[in-house]
Amino acid sequence: MASIVTTSLVKEYPGGVRGVNGLSLTVNDGEFFALLGPSGCGKTTLLRTIAGLEKTTSGRINIGDRDVTDLEPGKRKIAMVFQDYALFPHMSVADNISYPLKIQKMRKTDRLEEAEKVGDGLSLQGLMERRPGQLSGGQQQRVALGRAIASRPEVFLFDEPLSNLDARLRLEARTFLKKLQIDLGITTVFVTHDQAEALALADRIAIMKAGTLQQLGSPREVFQRPANIFVASFVGSTPMNLLPATVQDGRVLVSGTSLPLPASAEGLVAEGQSVTWGARPEYLHMSTTETADAFLGGVTISENLGASVLLSISVGESNVRVVVGEDQEPSMGTSVWVKVEPRRSLLFDSDGDRIGK
Amino acid sequence: MNSMQATADSSARPALMRHFLGLMGKTLFIALVLAFFVIPVLWLVFAPFDAHPSLTIKAPQFTFHNFEVLFQTPGAIASLGNSIILALGTMILVLVLGALASYALSRVKIPGRDILLYTLLLLSSIITGTAAMVPTFLLMVKLGLIDSQLGVILILGSGIMPTVIFILKDFMDSIPKSYEESARIYGAKPLRILWDVGVPLARPGLATIAVWAVVQVWGNFLVPYILLQTPSRTPAAVVIYTFYTEGGQPNLALISAFSLLFSIPVIAMYFFVNTRYGFRFYGGIKS
Amino acid sequence: MSEIDADAAASQKLRKSERVKRKGNRTSEDGDSAGLGKGRAAAFVAPAMLLIAIFLVFPALWTLYLGLTNYRLTGFAATHPRFVGIDNYVNALTDSRFLNSLGLTLLFVLGSAVIGQSVLGFAIAWMMTRVRKGVKSVVEFFVLLAWIVPSSVSTFLWLALLDRNNGTLNTLFGTGTTAWLLQFPMQSIIVFNTWVGTAFSMLLFSSALGAVPPTQLESSKIAGAGAWAQLRDVIFPHIRSHVLTNTILITLWTFNTFTPYLLTAGGPDHRSEILPVYIYRLALSEGSLGQGSAVSLIMILINLVIALVYLRILREKKS
Repeated sequence: MASIVTTSLVKEYPGGVRGVNGLSLTVNDGEFFALLGPSGCGKTTLLRTIAGLEKTTSGRINIGDRDVTDLEPGKRKIAMVFQDYALFPHMSVADNISYPLKIQKMRKTDRLEEAEKVGDGLSLQGLMERRPGQLSGGQQQRVALGRAIASRPEVFLFDEPLSNLDARLRLEARTFLKKLQIDLGITTVFVTHDQAEALALADRIAIMKAGTLQQLGSPREVFQRPANIFVASFVGSTPMNLLPATVQDGRVLVSGTSLPLPASAEGLVAEGQSVTWGARPEYLHMSTTETADAFLGGVTISENLGASVLLSISVGESNVRVVVGEDQEPSMGTSVWVKVEPRRSLLFDSDGDRIGK
Repeated sequence: MNSMQATADSSARPALMRHFLGLMGKTLFIALVLAFFVIPVLWLVFAPFDAHPSLTIKAPQFTFHNFEVLFQTPGAIASLGNSIILALGTMILVLVLGALASYALSRVKIPGRDILLYTLLLLSSIITGTAAMVPTFLLMVKLGLIDSQLGVILILGSGIMPTVIFILKDFMDSIPKSYEESARIYGAKPLRILWDVGVPLARPGLATIAVWAVVQVWGNFLVPYILLQTPSRTPAAVVIYTFYTEGGQPNLALISAFSLLFSIPVIAMYFFVNTRYGFRFYGGIKS
Repeated sequence: MSEIDADAAASQKLRKSERVKRKGNRTSEDGDSAGLGKGRAAAFVAPAMLLIAIFLVFPALWTLYLGLTNYRLTGFAATHPRFVGIDNYVNALTDSRFLNSLGLTLLFVLGSAVIGQSVLGFAIAWMMTRVRKGVKSVVEFFVLLAWIVPSSVSTFLWLALLDRNNGTLNTLFGTGTTAWLLQFPMQSIIVFNTWVGTAFSMLLFSSALGAVPPTQLESSKIAGAGAWAQLRDVIFPHIRSHVLTNTILITLWTFNTFTPYLLTAGGPDHRSEILPVYIYRLALSEGSLGQGSAVSLIMILINLVIALVYLRILREKKS
């Protein structure tokens, strides 16, 4: 359908606050693309600027081969699903879904037929005459999606599409959304503050902070190889272990323990350099027998995650977290060895940026 | 046990007495209040159905004859029609202009917006029909709008417009913006958005304003009294003072029946709004 | 089905809290959600402003000018008004009829609004907190009725009530042929206006009383406070700002009401000629438009003072 390209995009609010600060990124045709970041990072502003609900301060936005920077939202061939769905409460489901067609001046019978078709595709049969207030959260979301689909856009924009659903429904809706996107193949950008949602849904994720791009990559890339400490601590359901370290004899000294240098940093660090060492709790291995190149410490806290357990292990002054299988859970106070593979650990320089590729 | 009972008894007696006196006082107060507010109204209930109405309130010799007289009196029913024209005309004027203005004021931050709103409200409460009757009269003479119902509508409409905008803006403010943004994404233009989304969602506010405007105009005596001269254009509030018998006495049969007919619509509307939306206090919802 | 309903309710609640959160967020620039833009917004506002400017503001400004002329309704001065400076104001302020009217107006406002409507309205509202619901709705209905009935009708009801020969009041009290409106014109219109306007005070105070936390009333009751002590220590502090609001609003309305004209027409012998009636008679009956305008302006200025006091109180309440 269409790609989205932003070039040096700036959105400045009256008073000089920059919601988006010089952002250039490309969303490929047909891609499911996530804008991820904490609240106030500018992700919603970026989405609304792409939609045209916010005026661009400088820079360009292209959708397909069209420059839409100065176009009205209604002329951009986009559809947007709002966080609160914004279903018109005084219209039936059918009228809501067919509203874009009404604006396009389609005949009433034609557009209701079209709404019927879209509704069927979203399992909304039998609900077409209801008002939004009479629907469950999940149904409301599907109506909002239906309205977006009916407008036959080149691009979908979703603002926190799952945040209004309760936890159980959210997983269901997530799977549904992914399948829908694959089936329709329409370029989709969605905003979320939930890293798990972004990892689960997106083909690629753009992580933002204070209006600037921190990292752009596939879920695997941002999870395994965060570009900086901010991304490292923001992505992942259990926070990454990030400990101060020093380079010593071609190895790295972390909390009094000498560990092999992470593979990616080899040849890029100087002796005595202060760095931050990082490794995800999921990538650490615990052992009750003595192991080389491993932390040694006592188990202080054990948190059950269901099929796995998150252990906090006190190593010298620091605390190292590790995820182990449920069968492996040691009793409190036990001394254990925690080992890390060089290719699963990372080093960050004093600016917080990852060292090496 | 015994002694306790005794003390309880002795203290219970004055308490009981006080309770009794309190109840008496309360009942007396309510009776007086009811008498004060009910007695004047009784005439409106009885006289219209009395074959020989007088100024005294009395049980009627029941008849519908007074209403027959009313329907035959030239100008009586027409004056109610005039009241309807003035009320609906003013209502439509303030609803359309008020909705447009309050919507724009709610959505676009025009510099000095809040001061403008308060100034307007201030103006409408200090420039009252009574205080401005002289220039109003002269203005309408100069504009050639004297003795015209349009003139009355314009004057009444402008007098309540600030309050209308103020209240409607409140309603517009409470409509979530994402509704309009959603419509906008799909290509709807501002007027269309106002019509498709703003108006339906502000309906309780618009209904309240509509009823309020009608009630205001319906009962207004001064403005049509000053600005209208031709009897066939005069509304009921003024015409009621022209019902005299040939002997120069007020025609009570006519006046009583007419008063009832004239009062019922506003009473009905008030209680409709009350049960539907509840009374709300805005700066001078009835003045 | 019920599960869906529960879910719908939950999602609605969630959405509400989200919305509250979003308010703080900077989501829409200037809140211009419909994409009106400043130009179109001005076009939307313009018709209403034009109406207000021509038919509300202009007459008030014109009053300023007219008050400085000897403009008359008929005769030579109607076609050739002459600029007379502040003569009209000097005349007005030294005219005993104006001073009499001003005094009567003060009496009228004090008697029917400040004392009559406020006190009676509060007393009813207070009493209604201590009676059964049925009694309450009956009393409130009739008080409200007096307020709702069009003024042309309510004045007629009082003409009937106070009539010399057949009036109900004389029959009830056995007061013979007392001509209430002639012998006691001011008292009559004061009582009449109290009757008409009490509903507003009652409604306002009854919603104010409803907002007094019941726990405070109960704890004062437990502490042994009687009705009077409760009123003074718990209720009055809570409703003080309502008392002010109420007093000022009804003062403004009472000051500007023309309705008593329909009862006494200002008479007999100017004895109930409150300012609105005075202006009407002076300007439109007697034709002294210039003089009438001068008095109008004085009246607008008094309104302005009252309204400014009110706005000031509102602002203090907000901060």
